[in-house]
Amino acid sequence: MNVKDKYAIVGVGYTPQGKLPERTTLSFHLEACANAIKDAGLSREDVDGLICYRHFPPSTGEQDVSPYLVAQHLGISPAYLFQDAN
Amino acid sequence: MLHAVGALESGACKYVLISYGHSARSGDSMLRMLSDMTGDEAIYGHFGAAGGYALAARRAMHEFNTGPDSWKHIAVGQRAWANLNPQAMMYDSRLTDEGYMTAKWLIEPFRLFDNCLISDGGRACIITSVERARDLKHPLVTIMGLGQHNPSGDLQKADYLAGPTGARIAGEAAFSMAGIARDDIDACQIYDCFTYTVEITLQDYGYFEPSGGKDWFMGGTIEPGGRMPVNTSGGLLSEAYHMGLTPLTEGVMQLMGRCGPRQLGPETNTKTPEIMLCSDNGGILQTHACYILRRI
Repeated sequence: MNVKDKYAIVGVGYTPQGKLPERTTLSFHLEACANAIKDAGLSREDVDGLICYRHFPPSTGEQDVSPYLVAQHLGISPAYLFQDAN
Repeated sequence: MLHAVGALESGACKYVLISYGHSARSGDSMLRMLSDMTGDEAIYGHFGAAGGYALAARRAMHEFNTGPDSWKHIAVGQRAWANLNPQAMMYDSRLTDEGYMTAKWLIEPFRLFDNCLISDGGRACIITSVERARDLKHPLVTIMGLGQHNPSGDLQKADYLAGPTGARIAGEAAFSMAGIARDDIDACQIYDCFTYTVEITLQDYGYFEPSGGKDWFMGGTIEPGGRMPVNTSGGLLSEAYHMGLTPLTEGVMQLMGRCGPRQLGPETNTKTPEIMLCSDNGGILQTHACYILRRI
C-alpha cells in the first residue's frame, strides 16, 4: 500500500475539556463531531464514514456509545460505520 | 486512521469522520476498564495500565541508562508547551525540574508528573481525498506516510519491554512511504501516556541509541525554542487525554498554522513546520501507529 499524499485531514473538532461532571461520553462525541464538520466547512450530509476511535465501558448512569448511536444523534446515516478497538 | 484510509481508498467513502469522547475523569468508566484488564497477576499486586508501563520502564532502566533524569525533561518540556495553550488543563500550572523530582511516587519508577492526565472531553477530525481537500478552506495537510505494528497480545507475553516496541517497524513503514529521513521531520507529536512512552517511541524511531535519551532530551530539545519540538499542545501529560487524537490533531493544527501562542515558527523561536511526525500506541506498548503529515 502506498497512499503518500493521497488523503488529507481537513477539519478538527474540539470540546471543553478537563473536569466536566455534568457531561456524558455521548455529548463529547457529538460536540467534537459537529465542530469538526463545521471546521472543515462541510455539512453533516457530506459525512459518509464514521469511526468511533476507542471504546470504553459506559460510566454508571450513561448508555454505551456506539458509532450507530453517534450517527443517529448527529442525524446522519453513513455508508460506513466502524468501532475502533479499546 | 488506517481504517479511514481503507474506507476512502476502496471508494466506500468520500469524507470519514473520526470521533473520540469520554467522561473519563468524572465517570467510573476508566476504573471499569482497568478492572476488566486485571488478570491473575493482580495477586502479585500488578494491575492497571500504570503498573504495566512502570514495569516496562523499570526494565528499560535496567537495560539502558534511563530513568527520572531523562524523563524530567519530557514532563517539564511538555508543560512549558501547555503553559502556552489556554485549552490545556495545565495551562496555569508551571513545572520545574525540582517540582518534578519532589512529586510523590505514583507507582515506582513513575512520579506524579510521569503520568498522563485523565480528562472529560472529546476530539474529532475529518479525512478526505487531496482532490476534495483542495476545495475546502484550510491549508492542505496530507498524510505523507503511515505505518502500524502490533508486536504482541499482552504484557506478560511481550519480549520488548525495553524496546524495540511496535514503533520501530511502524516508523520504518511510515518513513518508507513518505520517502523521507528522520532529519526531515520538523516536530513530533508523540503519544505520551507516560513520559517513558515518549522516550522509547523516539528511540525506536531512531532519534537516539538506547541510553542516548538523557543527552538527547537535555538542554530544552523538545521545549519552545528547542531543536525538535515534541507535544506542542502539552500532550496527554499536560494538555488533555484524548488518546491518539491529542497528538494527531495537534500535528494537523500546527501544520495549518492555527495554534496561536504555541504556534511553531517565529512565535516560539522554532522552525515553521512543513513535516510532522505523530504517533499513537495502545495496550502496554502492544500496538503502535505512526503518521507523517505535511503541509503542501
